[in-house]
Amino acid sequence: MKGIRAYGVLLAREIESYFMAPLMYLVLAIFLVMNGIAFNFSLADSGGNVNATVRNFLGGSILFWINILIIPPLLTMRLLAEEKRTGTIEGLMTAPVTDFAVVLAKFSGALLFYVALWMPSLVYLIVLKGYGALPDPGILTTSYIGILLLGALLVAIGILASALAPNQVVAAIIGIVGNLVMFFVPLFSLQMGQGKLRAGLEHLSILFHFQNSFGKGVLDSGILAVYAVLVALILFLTVRVVESRRWS
Amino acid sequence: MIEVEAMSKRYGDVLAVDGISFRVGEGEVVGFLGPNGAGKSTTLKILTCYMPATRGTVRVAGFDVLTHSLEVRERLGYLPENVPVYPDMRVEEYLRFRALLKGVRRRDVEKRMGAALERCGCAEMRRRMIFGLSKGYRQRVGIADAILSDPPLLVLDEPTSGLDPNQRVEVRKLIASLGENKTVILSSHILAEVEAVAKRVIIIAKGHIVADGTPAELTRRYAGDRRVHIEARGDAATMRRALRDVPGIEVLSVDTLDEGQAIHGFTIRCDGDDDRREALAKAIAASGALRQIEATVVSLESIFGKLTMGEEAA
Repeated sequence: MKGIRAYGVLLAREIESYFMAPLMYLVLAIFLVMNGIAFNFSLADSGGNVNATVRNFLGGSILFWINILIIPPLLTMRLLAEEKRTGTIEGLMTAPVTDFAVVLAKFSGALLFYVALWMPSLVYLIVLKGYGALPDPGILTTSYIGILLLGALLVAIGILASALAPNQVVAAIIGIVGNLVMFFVPLFSLQMGQGKLRAGLEHLSILFHFQNSFGKGVLDSGILAVYAVLVALILFLTVRVVESRRWS
Repeated sequence: MIEVEAMSKRYGDVLAVDGISFRVGEGEVVGFLGPNGAGKSTTLKILTCYMPATRGTVRVAGFDVLTHSLEVRERLGYLPENVPVYPDMRVEEYLRFRALLKGVRRRDVEKRMGAALERCGCAEMRRRMIFGLSKGYRQRVGIADAILSDPPLLVLDEPTSGLDPNQRVEVRKLIASLGENKTVILSSHILAEVEAVAKRVIIIAKGHIVADGTPAELTRRYAGDRRVHIEARGDAATMRRALRDVPGIEVLSVDTLDEGQAIHGFTIRCDGDDDRREALAKAIAASGALRQIEATVVSLESIFGKLTMGEEAA
């Protein structure tokens, strides 16, 4: 009970600090502009086919991937790195709260802000309606579920980066590099012969998840498990890093 | 309240704290004194569960800091060195957040916060943003934070560093009043600071405890013999003979201060703790004219200097 209460207090503070930070509005603005351009190209490429537009816009275009690999680390970079740099981590970790509650609150706060970033994209549905039809609700739903799962994964990576880095800038760099690794390494499977390693890597590819599952209106329990396990693993590692207190 | 046994802390190759042991009883106000880098902050960080010791056991209020960290943290208020506070919050927002985090019940939060602000003399600052506060007010907000949940133990790391002399006096007064019903452990590298509020002083240097006791005990233990300086007019040899008849003293040196007026200075060592000034004055009055007599009090300051510089370490 106590743990849940502390988590709630911490989460409220995290959400508040997101909406109080001028930098986050800048990130929001950049994201919305990038997303607008991405939507514009997605629509143009699909020649007015609404389902193809959704598929391009949510997981099928280069602009989408550039946006999604860069923005989450900017949301998470300050979370632990800034507390370490200013020393406020000391007050936090000597209050009667667990390291896990702190990490989980920061994770949920960042994920909520990430969801808020995507909210305005629902407006594009009105644009699509202007082309005569709404997209297939199945594809739309699974694509947004994909966006949420991917966000959870990338936000978790960003928080781990923030726990490892001495300051925000380094945290952002580690986070972006981590995301690039997450994106590109599984793609090496394309260069491999058939085998277990290739199958395993393909199963981990966030790009393939969108191409083969979310973008087709399919939810695969195997893929859901990949996200659940990766997020849990990365958050666990983050708690371990926080616990180690190597920082002074 | 605090039991530390054979505690060591190693950072890589550096042994910051080397097997120290001490106890602090309930209601004691203890000053933790040492030069910068002596291991004070490290010790306090271990006490407050911020980081673990490399070796040894530490118990606070009967709870082990490693295995019952949350129970320990519920019972202490900690002011870290340099008072880290979130600059982007208002004073009252910050304290409200901290109170809830420390498990103060929602309906008690306003009352507790008001009391803490009042106590620390920063009630008029409650609507101000923290980044705009002066160092003195930041310090007070930090102390208000530490006392929010009314914990039985306060751990204050350098509570007066960076303050101007007036602010120091006020923070000292505040700590003294808090010490009336709480156990307080505070650190400082300034002796006068600790002497003013603490009834017990633990001196730490290079990771070791070099002295532990009340300021009076430490003075007695480390000051060595009492010395008396006498300035008198008259014949040096006569006066010296007269002094020699006073029991339990030894004349260390005789200096001629003014040849023409025959003024001489005597430096005398007294055995033990006795104050022999009256006997010495009588002896001089009988053999010459006494101009001045003074017992040198060895200050805790010089003891501190001796102990922490590594000379005559106990």
